[in-house]
Parts: sequence; structure tokens; C-alpha cells
Amino acid sequence: MKNSGAYSYPPLSHRLFGVWFRHMRVYTQNIFSNGLPPFLEPLLFLAGVGLGLGKYITQSMEGLSYIEFLGTGLLMTSAMFTASFECTFGTFIRLEFEKVYDGMLAAPLTANNLIIGEMLWAGTKGLFFSFAVLCILAIFGIVSLPKCLLAPLVGFLTGLMFSTLALLVTSFVKTINHFNFYFTGFISPMFFFSGVVFPISNLPAYVRPVAEIIPLTHSVRLVRAVCVHQYPPHLLLDLLYIGAFTLLVGFFAVKRLKKRLVF
Amino acid sequence: MAQFTITVKNVSKNFGKVCAVRGLSFEVEANTCFGLLGPNGAGKTTMMKIIYGKCTFDNTNGTTIDVFGYNPAKDELSIKYLSGVVPQDDNLDDELNVYQNLRIYARFYALSAQQADERIGQLLDFLELSEKRTASIKQLSGGMKRRLIIARALLNNPKLLILDEPTTGLDPQVRHLIWDKLRQLKKQGTTILLTTHYMEEAFALCDEILIMDKGKGVMEGTPAELLESNIEKFVLELAGSHTINEMKDSSIRIDRSEETTRLYSNDADRLKDLAAQLEGAHYYLRQTNLEDVFLKATGRGLNE
Repeated sequence: MKNSGAYSYPPLSHRLFGVWFRHMRVYTQNIFSNGLPPFLEPLLFLAGVGLGLGKYITQSMEGLSYIEFLGTGLLMTSAMFTASFECTFGTFIRLEFEKVYDGMLAAPLTANNLIIGEMLWAGTKGLFFSFAVLCILAIFGIVSLPKCLLAPLVGFLTGLMFSTLALLVTSFVKTINHFNFYFTGFISPMFFFSGVVFPISNLPAYVRPVAEIIPLTHSVRLVRAVCVHQYPPHLLLDLLYIGAFTLLVGFFAVKRLKKRLVF
Repeated sequence: MAQFTITVKNVSKNFGKVCAVRGLSFEVEANTCFGLLGPNGAGKTTMMKIIYGKCTFDNTNGTTIDVFGYNPAKDELSIKYLSGVVPQDDNLDDELNVYQNLRIYARFYALSAQQADERIGQLLDFLELSEKRTASIKQLSGGMKRRLIIARALLNNPKLLILDEPTTGLDPQVRHLIWDKLRQLKKQGTTILLTTHYMEEAFALCDEILIMDKGKGVMEGTPAELLESNIEKFVLELAGSHTINEMKDSSIRIDRSEETTRLYSNDADRLKDLAAQLEGAHYYLRQTNLEDVFLKATGRGLNE
């Protein structure tokens, strides 16, 4: 990077990668305790459905058996949860308790680099977590490879999208306990009202628009399309929603959180 | 003509209603050690953070900050690339070991794997941490953590080293070791900007000292100048609140705190005579030091 005689700081891509690498390095330091649960969680879920609940649900949902329907939905909820935790509790701890960012901002990184690096890392965790679910689904023959190998990419987009919202929330939060409201009030309900557990077409007509507004619905629609390998044109709207949401909320998240890093 | 690494002119910083820095100006000559001294809350840390772009500053008329020819509001990356920062709090990654902590920072400076390894080896050697290369952060003592943070700040061979209270809370051995290392760095051409509460530290390291109080600069000079022009040569410290009557002698200045009375004068014999008259009283006659200057400049009241 150094030109002869002149000093120049690393380019943007290198700076973002540096931030991403820091998070990856810390995460993989405890690879066993960090890397195993993402595989176990869907296993338990599917076991519960396969061994018990599934017997009562014989109706097909959007043309899928219940275990297929739920399994493909879990690809996205796992990405959502991990990105949301990473960029609420994780970010807040790094910001307020560990003071990690204070050290990083003394290196040639801007606050913007730091926040966007954070988002990219959350996206990566989304990718990894949905990959873990995909492995379990594939092992039990719930989805068929290789056509669903694109699913983790949707996991990346979902992780990225939820990281922007989580960081925006974090920019407002003064004590770590406030995140409980976000999870109980917003993230957990999404599990039920975005077509993961049952199709949103079964919701009462007056609730349905709400399901269309919340972000997870669009991720779930996208990933199911990938898993069944059918791409109707209205999927473009879902993709557009995810893109617009990420950019818009991301913009405000960077703007607000920056004020807590450089003030 | 002297070359300045840092030029600060008329800089102010308000946090809402709290004014942290008010109209501060100073210059740091290249290859020197400049000390910012002052009580807690004087604005030292804020001023340092402004220099490397971690804090913004109020944009008023006549404000200039120039660090290597860059303005922190516009070119923070260039400044950060040329500087190393040792913050007040230890902020190492507890999950990683000593080597890994340095390795992730080497990436921020875009050092290649080979460069990074080489540099980390040198720095661990320099700060006498080589044996702790694979130790986890939790196994390190306070002094080792501080040294590791200094090593981290030195990764990119900075031209400017910024240290915020680098030896607070450390034992004398580590403090002297750190002072030695800082002197070596200065000899190698590093400009050093440091804050400290320890007057002996400032005396030992700094070529120039600025004493701050309530966001303003109150005194500036070399350590010797500050002593010479701001304080009497000797002080007689008397335990207890002595009811010494007002001195007729104008060559003696009295400073009372609750449990100690201090008599300042340039005339040591005069103070000796006085002490002899106070039979049985505990007294201590000594040369004045920077701490006396500091207390005179910033007052005895707590600044909290």
C-alpha cells in the first residue's frame, strides 16, 4: 500500500475487511461454543416437529409438507436472530463495556468503516447460520441439493438487513436491558407473523398488510422460492424491499450510531 | 526554523452545556515530547481525541488544527495512519491472546503477513513481552496490558505517539520501564504527546509542558522554566493547621490546606529559622517541584 516516500492509508475495501476480520477472528476463537449451536438448534426444532407436532399437521402449506414449510422458514429466522443479537447486545458491549471501538478508531478506520464492517459481519453470520440450517435440512432430505445452495446467500441479505435495524435501535439505547423490548416487541412476533410457522394467507385480512410490511416476510418468500426453485416475477418486489430497507435503515443507522462513536 | 508536528489554534469543544476545551492554542515541535497536564476534567483527553479525529471540535472563526499538515475534521485517516494512540482505558480483546491482539491491528494498517509477524516480534521484544506472546489477556498484569497497548500503538512505526495517562495505576518499575522506552522512541525521531497527572513523569519526559485547567491553558513552558518563573525555590511544610500569624516578611508566601501549612520562599535560611522557632512541630523543608507549580496554577479545590 505504501508508495515510495508518500504515506497512504489502506483503501476502503481493505479497511472494511479489517473490521470484518477482527470480528471473524474473535468469533472463531471459540469455534466450538460459537459454531455448534447453529447446527443443534434446527435439529431440535425439526425433531420436535418431526416426532410430535408434525403428525397433527397434515395439510400442505403453499404446496409443501409442514416440515418442509417450517424448515425453509428456519433458514431465515436463524439469520435474523443471529444478526439481531450481534448488532444489539454484541455491538453495545463492544461500544460501552469493552471499549473495543475506542481502540479501533485510533487505527486508520472511520466510524463509517466500523459500522459498515459491523453490518457485513452480521450478514456473514446470517450466511453461516442459514448454511447450518441448510446442512441439517439436507441431511434429513427435507430440501434437495444442490439447487438450494443459494439459500445461505439469502441468509446473508437477511442478516445484513436485520443488522441495519439492530444498529439503528442500538443507537438509541442507553442501557443494555432496553434491548429486551426490541426482541419481545418486534423480533419474536416476526417469527409468527411472517410466514415461517404458517402461511400469511391464513391470517385475517386486516392483519395481512402488516405481514407485508415487516421485513422477515420478504426474506422467507425469497428463500422458499430458492428452495423449490421457482421464481415468479413478484419475487423482484421482495428483493427490492430487502434492498431498499437495507439502504434506508442502514443510512440512518450509520448516521445516528456515528454520533456515539465520534462526538 | 522549528518544524511543528501539531499546531492547535483557538480550539473549543462543547458537549451540550459542558465546555470541555475553551480557546486552547499550542504547538508541538517535531521530535519532542509535549505534555498536557491538568486536573481531572481539565479537557486533556478531549483535546487529544480532537487531534486524531475521535472527537469533533467547534468550528468557530480562527480555529485551526494542523497535524502533519492534515486537518482532523477532513483527513482523519491520514493522521491516524501516521499516529499511534494509547488510550486511557485498556481496551484489548480479552478473547484473543497477545499475538492475536496485535495481529488484528496489523491488518488495520494493511501490513502483509510477513511484515506483521516481523514487526510484532520486534515490538514484543522492545516492550519485554516476548515470553507472553501466546498468553491470554486475562493472564496479564496491569503493567503488561499497558505495554501491550503501547506495542499496538507502535505497529505502524508512528511518527506521532499519543498517550493518555500511560502509567496511571502502575508500579514504579513498570513506570520507569515505560519512561525509558518513550525516551528511546523520542531519540529515534518520534514526536510524543502525552497527558499525565504525575508531575515527576512530566518532568522526566517532557520538553514542553502545558498546564490546563477548566479547558484553558494556564501555564506553558519547559519544566525548568515553569519551576523558575512560577514558584519560589523552597517550601517548608508544617503538619497541622498552624496558626502562624501573617508574615511581616513579604518574601514568604503562605498556602494553607486543612492539615498542612506550606510556607514558600526563595530564601532557605529564612525558612530554616522559622522552622527552628516552631519547637516540636513536624516540618519538612524541601525544594519546590512541578507539583507545587501545578497546585498553584490549578488551585487546591477538587475539580469534580
